[in-house]
Amino acid sequence: MSSHREAPEISKDPVADSTDVYAFVSPDAPTTVTLIANYVPLQAPDGGPNFYEFGDDVLYHINIDNNGDGVAEIIYELRFNTVVGNPNTFLYNTGPIQSLADKNWNRRQFYSLNRQEKSGNQRRTTVLGTNLACPPCNIGPLSTPNYPDLANQAVHGLPGGEKVFAGQRAEGFYVDLGAIFDLGDLRPLEQLHNQFGLNVPELAKPAPGVNSTKGANVYSIALQVPITQLTSNGSSPTNAGDPSSVIGVWTTASRQKVSMVAQNNGQSTNAGPFVQVSRLGNPLVNEVIIPMGKKDYWNNQPPANDSQFVQYFQHPELSTLLPTLYPNAFPNLAAFNATGSPRGDIVAIFNTGIPSGVVSGFQNSGGSKQADLLRLNMAIPPTTSNLSNLGVVGNDPAGFPNGRRVFDDVVTIELRALAGATLPLVNKSFTADAAVSQVTDGLTTSPTDVSAMGTENYLPTFPYLGVPYSGFAVPAS
Amino acid sequence: MEKHSRRAFLRNTSMAVGVAGAVAAVPGLPAVLESGGPQAAESAAAELPKGAELSEPLVAHVRDLTTGEIDLYAGERQVTYRDPHMAARLFKATR
Repeated sequence: MSSHREAPEISKDPVADSTDVYAFVSPDAPTTVTLIANYVPLQAPDGGPNFYEFGDDVLYHINIDNNGDGVAEIIYELRFNTVVGNPNTFLYNTGPIQSLADKNWNRRQFYSLNRQEKSGNQRRTTVLGTNLACPPCNIGPLSTPNYPDLANQAVHGLPGGEKVFAGQRAEGFYVDLGAIFDLGDLRPLEQLHNQFGLNVPELAKPAPGVNSTKGANVYSIALQVPITQLTSNGSSPTNAGDPSSVIGVWTTASRQKVSMVAQNNGQSTNAGPFVQVSRLGNPLVNEVIIPMGKKDYWNNQPPANDSQFVQYFQHPELSTLLPTLYPNAFPNLAAFNATGSPRGDIVAIFNTGIPSGVVSGFQNSGGSKQADLLRLNMAIPPTTSNLSNLGVVGNDPAGFPNGRRVFDDVVTIELRALAGATLPLVNKSFTADAAVSQVTDGLTTSPTDVSAMGTENYLPTFPYLGVPYSGFAVPAS
Repeated sequence: MEKHSRRAFLRNTSMAVGVAGAVAAVPGLPAVLESGGPQAAESAAAELPKGAELSEPLVAHVRDLTTGEIDLYAGERQVTYRDPHMAARLFKATR
């Protein structure tokens, strides 16, 4: 998935597992940017009695690079604290939870938020909020009646004009995991798959995609920040050609080096400095670009060190596999692969941003530094009509890989890019195979479909990801 | 195949030991740390700042027995300490 359970170590540590990052100019508040970092993947909404929460022992960051050096000039840092009202009941709540202060709610979570700004070798920290309340999980009509209003109480306005929300949301990312991880099957094209000679009858004709995240929840940290607080010079950029209009965004989660489980109560205590155990900028990078033996290491590394991974972007494994898995569908890609030439388009999309002159009227490169960052050109206004879930590839410059909106079909965009759709941008002699335009995992009906199957509940306003599915309504399958 | 000597084992093996707050979990360790007897214990106590007490775990990770490198973890801090004798004593305490 985008980055759900993408590496061996982090797959065992859900509360620190970053799953998706979104960054976009807010469509309803275009002087601001919305940043969303998701954690705790694949939540079955009925997962009680110990419902999901953030890790009190995890340090969560949303990082902003605003000068193209791959280093965070701004960090939003969150630390969580769980408070149990009554330890003598097994219940998450002892009656309906009607407000964030409701005494029926037995296990609450609060957080602090600070902003760190780099100044030379120093970091200046500003506390933006303390004891900010998370909402409860969406349990059901008896426990969490009128959940949307309850969750809205957890949208906190901050003195600097920011908004923050940290809590459960409906998963917004969509993907057909079941097919893709079955040896690269794309259901809409599966009749073309070589099937390893098995000739599986049910794969003999095209089929619609199946959304693996339908009905699942996730935990979101969402921030809405005035653009002037994100640029290096405090301005609001209007020239999309200016590199200073671009920010690079990524999230990290860190744990203390030492953890010990106490013999007398089964609880763990921690010691030592925090070490990064998870990071995420662009979707699917660690998932499908980085090889198995490097995934944990990649999660530990800062983006500024990403040049060490460049060969995996220059020669992506999936691009090599596609002509084999789908014989005769990608002859041009196969021929290009045979030359051994590097994929400059893939390096640009993920590692440097797209420089000026590659896509007419568009750039999102803050510099040439190789770093996996979700790069957003903040001078490009949000698209309000003729939106395309294919973003820049679909002639909608406000979408991925110019940042990422909640509805962007990043799986299809990246699959098509890896299949060669974007290679002509940097290699004029290359012609993308006809099959490229058919590549999809089949979860949207068209590029204008911005409510993919199972994710119909996106919100038009902050925090944009939908009201989480209730445990009562959506039991685990 | 390379022959494994005890020296090579010591060189290549690191060891983590929780001390102080978790000291009772390592049988024999208190005795080793106090191997100088009651007088040594009193002397060690005298080295502590007045009112010193453990309010958080203090963890020692013996990183290298030959150099005596010991990483100490307390709160959100890490301090690397070198004491081959201490490293050897901690190692013996775990045997």
